[in-house]
Amino acid sequence: MPTTVKPVKLDLARLEAMAESDYYNPYTIFDWPESLGTDRPWMSEDLVTLAGTEEWGKLTREQQLALTRFEAVNFFSLNVHGIRELLSEVVLRIHTKTYADASEFLHHFIGEENEHMWFFGTFCLKYGGKVYPAVPQVGPGRIEGVGDAATELVIFARILIFEELVDYFNARMATDDSLPPIAQEINRVHHQDESRHVAFGRHLFTQLLDQVKESRPEDIPVLANYLETYLEYSVRSLYNPAVYRDAGLDQPLELRRRLLEHPARHAAHNAILNRTRKFLARNGLQVQGASA
Amino acid sequence: MSDDKLTKILTFIHQRNPEVGELNLDDDLIDRRAVDSLAFVEFLYLLEELSGETIDPEEIDVEDFRTLRAIDKRFLHGAAAH
Ligand SMILES: [Fe+2]
Ligand SMILES: [Fe+2]
Repeated sequence: MPTTVKPVKLDLARLEAMAESDYYNPYTIFDWPESLGTDRPWMSEDLVTLAGTEEWGKLTREQQLALTRFEAVNFFSLNVHGIRELLSEVVLRIHTKTYADASEFLHHFIGEENEHMWFFGTFCLKYGGKVYPAVPQVGPGRIEGVGDAATELVIFARILIFEELVDYFNARMATDDSLPPIAQEINRVHHQDESRHVAFGRHLFTQLLDQVKESRPEDIPVLANYLETYLEYSVRSLYNPAVYRDAGLDQPLELRRRLLEHPARHAAHNAILNRTRKFLARNGLQVQGASA
Repeated sequence: MSDDKLTKILTFIHQRNPEVGELNLDDDLIDRRAVDSLAFVEFLYLLEELSGETIDPEEIDVEDFRTLRAIDKRFLHGAAAH
């Protein structure tokens, strides 16, 4: 890790205590039925990528239900891959000088994320027969031309953005009684763990941002732009042509494009990203006129 | 590849990254920052549309995406007029 990034100063005693007292055994607490049946949605109907558009109304009830099943498996697959990518970055940083104050909490974080990956992956494999593959990261990945503090900030900002986006879905599905109980449960448990991760992520974010403001304020607009691009990238990843293909919908790529241009979907994206955009704006990282 | 398909690929690249400038068939798209990792998914879907084939994300070889000529050879059946 770059040595020019000063050690972060964090008091995480409260979050560490919560992680300890909320600890559970993921391998035993869930009740996994043999199968889920096809007569109810697996993903909240108002959260599927066709919600609010005329495309949804064009489907038969069977097609709508099939779509909720593949979208649920896709959403949980995105979780698996998102966690895989963010965990590797966190593992590289635990017990380094910069993150010494965070190491105790990061042990909880790493353990919990491994468990999240397990229950999301189990849902996908058991009921969907597969984890949808991730598209590999091809091309330069990191933000370029900025200082070390901004580079570190981007790592944790991406984690925070991913966690907040996912949490929008978890919070809704945790209490959606139309879903199979196991789908509600894994969303509920994840929502609970992630409230600690998000609180941690926001502390760390402001610490690293202060370092950027001190050392290289000229990086701020570059960061703001990068993070807005990342928000849009994240929300677009929900629209997977393979899902539409599996659900038997016509012309998946054209459908995806129509959905991404649809005003109802723009409104949905704004709702999904609202909390994160507000947080970024409060920290001086807003992009003028940004909307997904 | 057909001029039409090439134009669509170049339009995508220039919309995403106006600073990249002129690109020849053998220019390295990754070194030139023509496509970065946040744009790659969309780039993949564009190639699926142009080729009419689905591309398995688990079978991706970066070298197939490195130049316009490589993309043509792998996904557009080498229809380039060169
Ligand atoms: Fe998680
Ligand atoms: Fe998390």
